[in-house]
Amino acid sequence: MNIKSRAILISLSFAGFLVSCSPQEEVYRLALAVPLTGDIAAMGLGMKRGADLAVEEVNKQGRFGRVIELKAFDDRADPKEAVNVANQIVSDNNIAAVIGHFNSGCSIPAAQVYARKDLLMITPGATNPKLTLQQLEPAWKWNKVIFRVNTTDDVQGQFSANFLFKKFKLKSVAIVHDKTPYGQGLAEEFKKQFETNGGTVLSFDGISVGDKDFKALITRIKTRRPQALFFGGIYNEGGLLIRQARELGLNSAFLSGDALQTNEFLKLAGESAEGSYITNVGVPPEKIPSAQAFLEKFKAKYPGVDIQPYDHYSYEATMIALLALEKAGITQGSKDFNRLKMIEFMKALRYDGVLGQTEFDEKGDTKNKAITVYKVQSGKFIPQDF
Amino acid sequence: MFVQQLINGLALGSIYALIALGYTLVYGILLMVNFAHSEIFMLGAFFALGALSLSWVSGLPAFMQLLLALLLAMFASAVTGALIERVAYKPLRHASRLAPLISAIGVSIFLQNLVFLFVTNQSVPFPRIVPLWHLELGNSQISSLQILVIAVSFLLMGFLRFFIQKTSLGKAMRATAGDRMMAEFSGIPTERIISLAFLIGGALGGAAALLNGMYYGSIKYNMGFLVGIKAFTAAVLGGIGNVTGAVLGGLLIGILESLGAGYIPGGSEWKDIFSFAVLILVLLVRPEGLLGERVSEKV
Repeated sequence: MNIKSRAILISLSFAGFLVSCSPQEEVYRLALAVPLTGDIAAMGLGMKRGADLAVEEVNKQGRFGRVIELKAFDDRADPKEAVNVANQIVSDNNIAAVIGHFNSGCSIPAAQVYARKDLLMITPGATNPKLTLQQLEPAWKWNKVIFRVNTTDDVQGQFSANFLFKKFKLKSVAIVHDKTPYGQGLAEEFKKQFETNGGTVLSFDGISVGDKDFKALITRIKTRRPQALFFGGIYNEGGLLIRQARELGLNSAFLSGDALQTNEFLKLAGESAEGSYITNVGVPPEKIPSAQAFLEKFKAKYPGVDIQPYDHYSYEATMIALLALEKAGITQGSKDFNRLKMIEFMKALRYDGVLGQTEFDEKGDTKNKAITVYKVQSGKFIPQDF
Repeated sequence: MFVQQLINGLALGSIYALIALGYTLVYGILLMVNFAHSEIFMLGAFFALGALSLSWVSGLPAFMQLLLALLLAMFASAVTGALIERVAYKPLRHASRLAPLISAIGVSIFLQNLVFLFVTNQSVPFPRIVPLWHLELGNSQISSLQILVIAVSFLLMGFLRFFIQKTSLGKAMRATAGDRMMAEFSGIPTERIISLAFLIGGALGGAAALLNGMYYGSIKYNMGFLVGIKAFTAAVLGGIGNVTGAVLGGLLIGILESLGAGYIPGGSEWKDIFSFAVLILVLLVRPEGLLGERVSEKV
C-alpha cells in the first residue's frame, strides 16, 4: 500500500467516524457568537448571561425531547475572527441556529457564511442597516437567513438628530466616529438627518479604536464652538473622549448611541459623563410589563451583576430561535431538523416577549422601531421623554 | 490654538520620552530592542493602581499618595525589568542577536496575556489623585494634570542626565555602552551595569505609566502596545542608544501628532501616520537618527 492510498484510507475512516458519531448526540445546539474577550467583552458576557437564562428556562420546561445546549463562541469583536468562528459553527451539524454577532463589522461577513448553509442567524445587537440589506443585493445568491431583533442605526441616528434639533433647538454639532461600520454608520445617519433638519455639521472626524489621546482633536473642535458633540462608537473611546473634552473645557451637550449605555462608560468617564444623552434601541426593560419577569429572573440568577444593554435582546433572540426550532425545525420521529422550514417560520412570526411585540419585515428587521434616550444623572441612565 | 496644541503635544511627548529612554538605555548597552518594555509600562500602571488602592495609601493627602504611588510603581517596574533581563535575556547573551529579540517578543505576549487572564480584560478607571484646575495662558489653558506630567517627566529626565554624566556609575554605564569588552577589562562589572540599565529603564517606564494612568483616567492590558511602538519610534528618531535623542524624539512625536490631528482636516484619522512618516523621512536622510552617531558595524 503506498502512502497516498493509505492517507485516503485514513481520511475515509476518519470521515466515517464523524458521520457515524454525530447524529447520536442527544442534544440540540444553539451557537452564541459574541465578543467574550477583548475591548467590549462586557457587552458580550452580558449577552451570554441573557442567552444562558433563556436556555436554562427552556430546558426546565422540557419542551424538547433533548437537552438544549448553548455553545458560546468568541469572535473578539474582530471581523476576521468572526468569519473563523462562523466556519466552525457551520461545521457542527447539531447547531440549529446562531445568536449573534454583536458588532456590525463582524455580523456582515459572518452572515454570508451562515447563509451558504441555510443556518438561521438572529442578531441581538448589530445595528448597521447593511447587515440585512445585503440580502437584497443581486450578489446574494442564498436564502435570507438573517433576522434582527433590535432597531437599526438609521432609525437611531435620525432619532438622535431630531432629538437635538427639536427638543433643544441645537443647530450646530461636531461629529466624531470610530471608523467602524457601527460607529461611522451611526454618525453618518445622524449627520444626514441633522443636515436635512437644517442644522450645521461643523466637523466630521474619525478616530482609531484603541487610541487614548483625543486632546488635539478636541482642541480643534473647541475652536469651532459646537453646541453639541455627537460620538459614534463604543464605550472605551466614548468614555475617554468625553472625559478629555470636559478637561479641556469643551462644554457642549454630548450625545451618543447604544454602545455607551453601560456602566463601563460611566466608570471610564467618571463625573464627565454627567448630563450626557445616550440613545438606545428599544424601550428600557423596566418599562415593558412583559420584561419584568425577565428582570426578576436575571437578578435571581446573577445577584449583584449589572444588566448590560443587550442582555434582554440576546434572551429574546434565543427564545425566538428555540421557538423556530420547536415549531418548524423538528420533525417528529426524525433526529435531524429542517433549516429551511425554520427560516420560513421566522418570516411569519409574531412573538410577544421581553421586547414587546416582534415581527420581521421583508429584510428580516424587526418592525419594532422604538428608540429611547437616556440622560446620565448621578451616575445612572435615566430614560427621558421625547 | 497653536499654543494649546503645543501644550497637548508636550504632555503626550513627555510620556513618550520617558518610555523611549527605557528602549534607548538598553539598546545603548546590549544593542537589542527590548520589546517587552511596553509591557513593563503596562504592568507599571497596574502596580500604581494597586499601590493607590492600598488602604494605608488611600487615606493620605493627595501629594503623599502621588509620591508613594510613583515610588512604588517605579520600584516594582524596575524590579520587573531586571527580572525579565535575568530570565529571558541573560541566558541568551552569547546567542545570535535574533534570539533575545524573539525572547523579548515572547515575554511581551506572555505578560499581556497574564494580565488579560488573571487581572482583567476590561479598561479599569484610574484615579486622578490631584485636583483638576486650569491655568489660563492667553487663549490657551494648561491643566494641572498636564503640568504634573510635564514637570515629573522633566524632573526624572534631569535626574537621569545627572546620573549618567556626573556619577561614577553613570560613567561606568557610558563605558559599557562604548565598548563592553574594554570596560570589563578595566574592572567594570558589566553584567551589573546591564542590570542597572534595565532597572532604570523599568523605573522610568513605571513613572510614565502612573502619569499616563492619571492623564487618561483608564488603564488596560493592551495599553502598552501602541504607546510602546510610538516610544520606540521616538527612540529611533532621536538616534537609538542616545539618551538626549530619545527625549527629543519623544517630544517631537508628541507635538507632531497633536499638530497633525489639530490642523490637518480629518487629521485625527491619520494621527498615527504622522509620526511614522516623519520617522521614515528622517531615516532616509539620517539613518542614524537625529542625534545618533554613525558607528561602524561592530565585529
